[in-house]
Amino acid sequence: MDTLIQYLQYLVNGLTLGAIYSLIALGYTMVYGILKFINFAHGDILMVGAYTGLLTYTALLGESTNGAWMLCAFFIAMLVSMAFCAVLGMFIERVAYKPLRSASRLAPLLSAIGVSFILSNGAAWIFGAQSRRFPYPFDDSPIMIGGISITPHQILTLCVSLVMMVVLTLFVNRTRMGKAMRATSLDQPTSELMGIDVNKIISMTFAIGSALAAVGGILASFDFRVYASMGTMTGLKAFVAAVIGGIGNIQGAMIGGVLLGILESIGAPLLGIPSALKDTIAFAALIIILLVKPDGILGKNEREKV
Amino acid sequence: MRKVFAFMLVALVALTGLYANGGSESTSADSDTYKIGFIGPLTGDNANYGIRCSNATNLAVSEINAAGGIDGKMLEVISENSLGTVDGAIAAYEKLVYSDGVVGIIGPVFTSPALAVAQRCYEDGIVMISPSATHKDVTSLGDYVYRTVPSDALQSEVAAHYMYEVLGYRNIACLYAMNDYSQGLATGVEEVFTELGGTVSAMETCMVGDKDFRTQLGAIRNTDAEAIYIPNYTVEDALILEQAAQLGMNLPFFSSDGFSDPEIYNLAPDYTDGVMYVGPAQAEASTVLADFTAAYSAAYDGDMPDSFATNAYDATYILAQAIDRADSGDREAINEQVKATSDFSGANGIINFADNGDMIASQGVYDVDGTTPVYVGSFQIVDGSIIQVD
Amino acid sequence: MLNFFQLIIIYAGIYALMAIGQNCITGNTGMLSLCHAGFFCIGSYATAIMCKTFGLPFWFSLPVAAIAAGIIGFLIGVPTLRLKGDYLCIATLGLGEIIRNIATNVNPVGMMGIPRAELFGYQFSSRNKLTFILLVWVFVAVAYVLFRQLAHSRIGRAMTAVREDEVAAQSNGINVTKYKIGAFTLGAAVGGTAGCFATAYTLTVQPGSYTFMVSVMVLCMVVLGGMGNLKGVILGAFIIEFIQYFPQLVGLSSVIPAQASQVLYGLVLVIMMICRPQGILGRDKYRYGEKKQSLASRLASRRGGKEA
Repeated sequence: MDTLIQYLQYLVNGLTLGAIYSLIALGYTMVYGILKFINFAHGDILMVGAYTGLLTYTALLGESTNGAWMLCAFFIAMLVSMAFCAVLGMFIERVAYKPLRSASRLAPLLSAIGVSFILSNGAAWIFGAQSRRFPYPFDDSPIMIGGISITPHQILTLCVSLVMMVVLTLFVNRTRMGKAMRATSLDQPTSELMGIDVNKIISMTFAIGSALAAVGGILASFDFRVYASMGTMTGLKAFVAAVIGGIGNIQGAMIGGVLLGILESIGAPLLGIPSALKDTIAFAALIIILLVKPDGILGKNEREKV
Repeated sequence: MRKVFAFMLVALVALTGLYANGGSESTSADSDTYKIGFIGPLTGDNANYGIRCSNATNLAVSEINAAGGIDGKMLEVISENSLGTVDGAIAAYEKLVYSDGVVGIIGPVFTSPALAVAQRCYEDGIVMISPSATHKDVTSLGDYVYRTVPSDALQSEVAAHYMYEVLGYRNIACLYAMNDYSQGLATGVEEVFTELGGTVSAMETCMVGDKDFRTQLGAIRNTDAEAIYIPNYTVEDALILEQAAQLGMNLPFFSSDGFSDPEIYNLAPDYTDGVMYVGPAQAEASTVLADFTAAYSAAYDGDMPDSFATNAYDATYILAQAIDRADSGDREAINEQVKATSDFSGANGIINFADNGDMIASQGVYDVDGTTPVYVGSFQIVDGSIIQVD
Repeated sequence: MLNFFQLIIIYAGIYALMAIGQNCITGNTGMLSLCHAGFFCIGSYATAIMCKTFGLPFWFSLPVAAIAAGIIGFLIGVPTLRLKGDYLCIATLGLGEIIRNIATNVNPVGMMGIPRAELFGYQFSSRNKLTFILLVWVFVAVAYVLFRQLAHSRIGRAMTAVREDEVAAQSNGINVTKYKIGAFTLGAAVGGTAGCFATAYTLTVQPGSYTFMVSVMVLCMVVLGGMGNLKGVILGAFIIEFIQYFPQLVGLSSVIPAQASQVLYGLVLVIMMICRPQGILGRDKYRYGEKKQSLASRLASRRGGKEA
């Protein structure tokens, strides 16, 4: 088969993988932008989102095989899962992070790791250790375009990610709430003085970030399957993507995610080395990017310390 | 506050110093139960393998106890979590052997922890039977270490011969994960298949936990391979099958005993048809396997055992019979009796141990029809060619 | 049970060494690094290769492990230390993953049957834990004394200055890059030593053991004990290992489901952090000469006062 077609195929695969990373990275970036802290439990919220979505979907669907209802049930499940994760995110913030807001920047990190342990092992406890399949709500037979195959779920993933990013950008740049978020991110005490309810803004950020994670989780489960520790590695990769794009920057998270996905997919065959080394290539490339652009691709130059 | 803490720390260390003999062994020989230990990953990414094996061990023990135990003494299983790491497995081992005083160990489930624990078992003189650690080095120490799973050398030999001689493939590709299990099988098959005169046109690798295999499959699509050998765990196998279909590939797949996990039919029900795999042999006219599967399913909410769980079930019976024959909790005597196991008839057919503790058994070949594995027969390699045993 | 407690002490000692190394990087010099698992891995493999492949004694492999990890730390340090805060964190995390990824690809099984450590004909065996505890904790004590002296020396003060304000430090004639790389190399070397002891105890190395969770847990030990506070980080290492293995210590592990004990572990972490956000022993407060609040504690109290 033509080498060009093969590489185009890698590119398509990398794009979809990257779209999932981007969705999750958006949540990381939002929380980081406001609280300047790495929410290690974000990956596990993704897992909760996937489980919630799966359970709702199967419950709604029952025995039905009606195509339209399947699609409808899928979107309802997605909304339910988003709502559930938003509430969960706010709850976690209130219980585990809020008391630590005034402590050193690393204190919430530890607390987040604790939350991550609770969520992933709790899920394994409740749902068992087996992986589950998220059934496709539509016919997922691949579409061939000139030798390149793309599946409907890949198209869905790409579209949803794109829509989410546009909506989020509009929300942050055009609405009052978004403006308050940006202000809080810039200077918390001053925004408080300006009459912004910082607590509310932070809760809101967690809610939105977690809802995005839920969407990411459901879309990821087509490709990854649903299991208790699904969020750990995916979350880590998404975090890397967020930093590469310039953490705190929404478009940056998107670019970082897509870049990481493509690097993983195309890096090994391009260099002609074993695919098991793809993580090495991806991470090495990211370090090089950081050395050239120390604040990420779209990041602002900021000074900070531990 | 901090002085108190510093003092406490010093005191704790000193305290352990005072009890220098704390490490003395205690076995449960005198009490009215025999304790056996289980070590496996009960949490984390691979927990389903550990939990299934642990369940099977518990099931075997409850059956033995229901039948009156061993000369009136009951068996007790203590399952410890290895966390899937060497540190965790060693900690589990120490707890079982020194705190609980077990007479033998079932596990560990994975090779790397098994290597660490095997060394300790060898030093401390305690029997260990692994249901699933396939790497050749596990039994390399010799005494005290056994397994009821074929070493990957045996399984890959049958797989390569079957693909070359029976299925007539001359050119295959392998897609395997970089862990002891997959790599051992894949390199084994590569070696034997090339020796037979075939060509292995691609050896594609991935990491355990990878979810995207499209790059590797794409590379295989560009070769002349007639079939793909995928010796991986269930989830990876399921994703590989599905993604291959999504890439429009219709090459036949050949897999390993990792495929025996019935979970595969939930994970990729539309893509398993036509896959063949090497798994444990089944004894003719024996209902042990069917009985075990039914009992397991009834005991654990309809969950089905995989071949590793079946191995753990057999391992527990082998250990129990050895304790029975040794008629004591003496670890040395139990080791002698495990070694003396001959023609044990278990769920996986007739089992004997080689001198190094490896299992001697035929290998079964299965052909999946839709979502039902059909048993083709059991095979052995005799004088460099494959023969069907039954 | 006592035997198991001794095991926890050994593990705690090994991780205390790691935490001391991490503390040098994060606590003293203020760089957020997440690749101690990588240094641990290098140290372990160096020991395994020295003892098994070349048949050299343990005492020779110990400095080799430290130097090997130190060199890797230096090589990683030079280019990446230009990065700041979370960018440094992600770059080091990536490097840790690269080390593990390469180790896995070289040999996914790892090495086994590594010879034991020996001293004047005495073998440090895992069966006789007391001598092993002595071996490990003697080194923890040595590291403690050395790093304490270092922290109080001119070099240590320069490191603190770099942590508190790089620009101010630089304008006072402190060569920021030199101290950063120095701290990174030193911290890495101590991490390598920890790897050496771990190998001497388990007698196996396995690439799967060096996941980024190890780095994260080591960082947690530092944060939990109190950043920059040496007694604190040793205590932190002990506490984290203790909670991790507590269910097995008291025999709960075979009674309650394994997931439940992990959930409890997470719960304890959260609760401990909420109760002592500044770490159990708090951030180190050095008093330079007179009884004056250090810059660190003043900053901490100012940050604390804002919300409370």
